[in-house]
Amino acid sequence: MQPQLIRELEALLGPKAVLSAPEDLMLYEYDGSVELGSPRCIVFPDSARDVAGIVRLANRYETPIVGRGAGTGLSGGAIARNGGIVVAFSRMNRVLEIDAANLRAVVQPGVVNLDLSRAVEHLGLYFAPDPSSQKSCTIGGNVSENSGGPHTLAYGVTANHVTGLELVLPDGEIVRIGGKSIETSGYDLCGLFVGSEGTLALVTEITVRLMRKPEAVKTLLAVYDTLDDTTESVVEITVRAITPAACEMLDGFTLRAVEDYVHAGFPKDCAAVLLIEVEGLKEAVEAQAAEITEVCRQHRAREVRAARNDQERNLLWRGRKEAFGAMGRISPMYYVQDGVIPRTRLPETLRRIEEISRKYDLQIGNIFHAGDGNLHPLILFDERDRAQFARVVAAGGEIMRHCVEVGGALTGEHGIGMEKNELMPLIFTEDDLALMERVRAAFNPAGRLNPGKVLPMGKACGEIRVPPTPASAAIPT
Amino acid sequence: MSRPAQVSFTRLEEIAGGASVVTDAAEIAAREVCGMRPAVIVRPADAVQIAEILRFAAAEKLAAIPTGGCTKLGIGSPPARYDIALDLSRMNRVLAYDPHDLTLGVEPGVRIEGLLSTLAEKKQFLPLAVPFSARATIGGIVAANSSSPLRHAYGGVRDFCLGMEFVTGEGSQAKSGGRVVKNVTGYDLHKLLIGSLGTLAVITRVNFRTFPMPQAQGTFVASFSSAEAAFDFCRAVSHSVLTLQMVEVANPGVAALIFSGEISARIEPRTWTVVLSAAGQPAVVDRHERELGQLAGAAVAEEFLRLSDAEADSVQAQIREFPKLMTERTPAATIFRVSAVPGVMATLLGKLRVVAAQHELDLLSLGRAAGIFHVAFLPQKETSVPPQSIPGVIAEVFRACGQPEMRASAMLEWCPAEIKTSADVVWGPERPDFELMRRVKNSFDPQNVLAPGRFAGGI
Repeated sequence: MQPQLIRELEALLGPKAVLSAPEDLMLYEYDGSVELGSPRCIVFPDSARDVAGIVRLANRYETPIVGRGAGTGLSGGAIARNGGIVVAFSRMNRVLEIDAANLRAVVQPGVVNLDLSRAVEHLGLYFAPDPSSQKSCTIGGNVSENSGGPHTLAYGVTANHVTGLELVLPDGEIVRIGGKSIETSGYDLCGLFVGSEGTLALVTEITVRLMRKPEAVKTLLAVYDTLDDTTESVVEITVRAITPAACEMLDGFTLRAVEDYVHAGFPKDCAAVLLIEVEGLKEAVEAQAAEITEVCRQHRAREVRAARNDQERNLLWRGRKEAFGAMGRISPMYYVQDGVIPRTRLPETLRRIEEISRKYDLQIGNIFHAGDGNLHPLILFDERDRAQFARVVAAGGEIMRHCVEVGGALTGEHGIGMEKNELMPLIFTEDDLALMERVRAAFNPAGRLNPGKVLPMGKACGEIRVPPTPASAAIPT
Repeated sequence: MSRPAQVSFTRLEEIAGGASVVTDAAEIAAREVCGMRPAVIVRPADAVQIAEILRFAAAEKLAAIPTGGCTKLGIGSPPARYDIALDLSRMNRVLAYDPHDLTLGVEPGVRIEGLLSTLAEKKQFLPLAVPFSARATIGGIVAANSSSPLRHAYGGVRDFCLGMEFVTGEGSQAKSGGRVVKNVTGYDLHKLLIGSLGTLAVITRVNFRTFPMPQAQGTFVASFSSAEAAFDFCRAVSHSVLTLQMVEVANPGVAALIFSGEISARIEPRTWTVVLSAAGQPAVVDRHERELGQLAGAAVAEEFLRLSDAEADSVQAQIREFPKLMTERTPAATIFRVSAVPGVMATLLGKLRVVAAQHELDLLSLGRAAGIFHVAFLPQKETSVPPQSIPGVIAEVFRACGQPEMRASAMLEWCPAEIKTSADVVWGPERPDFELMRRVKNSFDPQNVLAPGRFAGGI
């Protein structure tokens, strides 16, 4: 990279806000996915004006720009695929306003997801999207990826909780869309920009909805001896139109890894468990919990128990949210997927994943948001075994194809990024993609903002990307 | 039409079939948009025909506007051109309904009333309690982003629409989103079509998630002597643990419209009223009754009462149809859709009331306590000509909403066609984000075939 650009960036932001030494750059080569890419420098803006200045410099030097929050993303969204400048938002981490009366907060993109909920906890409020990485992921990253989490079953994904954004467009213009009010006249631009994976603009301020904490919460653990009984229970809960706040499934293999790590009291000899949470008024919670217990028992759950207190509840959730991390203890590497299927197709899909696991001789753990059909199969591998890794990629592709065949989607909450962009033609026609391309070009005409993401580049149509060297250090928590 | 009409008709007949190209005067008149009438109505059978029609229109420099039940064609600024009305009434099938999965896919011409009946057979529903419900179609409801009181609990169309298929202004068939309840695959282009008034694409399929009908429901009314007291009560409700389906606030004058019979005798007509409904298990509804009553008492409500099921149905229907009731009351009605945070709503409505009084107009407002209101300015005397003061009132409404302490969003939904002389009248003065909207428009409809001029900033 032109040393002159580094000097100009240092002049703009101060020397401490620009990193370009090889040992610093290495820390920003990866995210939570198996992808890698080396930036030429990392910059740490403090304001939208800084970001606009960076963007203008990047344009002058015709250099790619990639936004980055905490780097916990699972599809390579924050990776500098074509090199260039990584704009790290860690210094823009202030909660600018808490408007409790109107149930809104205004935050900078670098605010950590859980920190916002903590900042409003004393008011009885919280921010609903709760990705597993919520202790470290940022709200800017949540906005880019339209992140979900277990409780999105009841409360929706990030897009349902954002009412306004401040953006820096790829030409350096700072513009606001939406606001604090529940709707803004005109096209729903927030709806377009949330989930655009950093390819249309850099987000510099976010107005989010806050939610009131429910009066009562009940967390149930249902334990099963077969996967079929587990998945049939989920189908029955959906069919009966019971609406839990979260409905998570962990299979036996995953559970054993989790239990050894978290000691949450998960039975280690079962085929799977469901972790189901109901929230709301205490009357509603009691009634729903009773109905769910009945459904689980009818489907031969060998045990259904409720967390007796907050401590037990937190431990169960820790087991769920740290399951990915627990996997790191038993496998050098894993590949996590994010397919979505219609909820009623869960039993056959789980059977299909078992077949794929046998066919490719791979260990696949299943842990997912069962209630909304969002699967997270974890395919374990050792990155030193290249032949095995090729099987991992093939197995991943086959699971994805199954999701598409039964009417599902490629990603429920992790994003397309650089991992699945070549798979987009499985879902979308050339015309669909051409229109998305046009919308991208309308905002990001030179393609300088986060290049090589979301839309296929046409080099390997219909294939999951095979990274040349899988990142070795990336175990998301 | 810019070319000899016969040539165009022949081509349209080739595409859609002779019986589907209509020039009947009454039918044409029913599809008038802001005083403009199309030369021809075409009733395409599917997306392929729509694509062909739009490509033909682009080549011939003709403009097309999609129509359904023709109940909301009055919304939006006056189109610059309007040659073809694309009547989607033939595309009226439910394409996929999986009650077990709680998902639904429908064509745009499906009428909401029939659809809700179909869903009710499976004890499900869509939270679209929208105006003009006897005739309104899904395509029109989505394209106008019709507001429903049920937004309080279920969000707007954007929150439960899973994906769409559509034909762009270039005649390209495209889609975004999907049919599953959680999905971040690709750009959410379908969200742009919600409220786009047909200016980006013609919607050919909409996928929704459906919702289970609650076991029991209770509807309550509380009345207050001032706007502040009514909004304070709403705030107390929203900060309580209660989980309401709807919370509607009506200003004095609206009570007479939405209540009838026994209740209207109990509600003092000059008060502000709040209508709330709760749903779920009977015990949940009973608890709402108790605790709402306590909150109403603490907010010094004049009255708090629970409606009978029949009364509740009637009141909810009147609330749902409020814009229709206003437009039927007088053709001179000028109705804004205003959105602001709840905390400023009482003040904002107070300012608008002063504007109305200064111009000798009545002001009726009804809306979601979360911050979406219909605000109607009505002549005090019966008249067929709009009062001369209306253009001044419109400017003052946008000014009041734009004040820094309000930060409200407004659009003029309904008014006499002659008032709508420009896009600014309907959408307010130019905003920085309009330029982004122009870029969106140019991506979908670069040749300006679809409803040119009907949208914000003259799009």
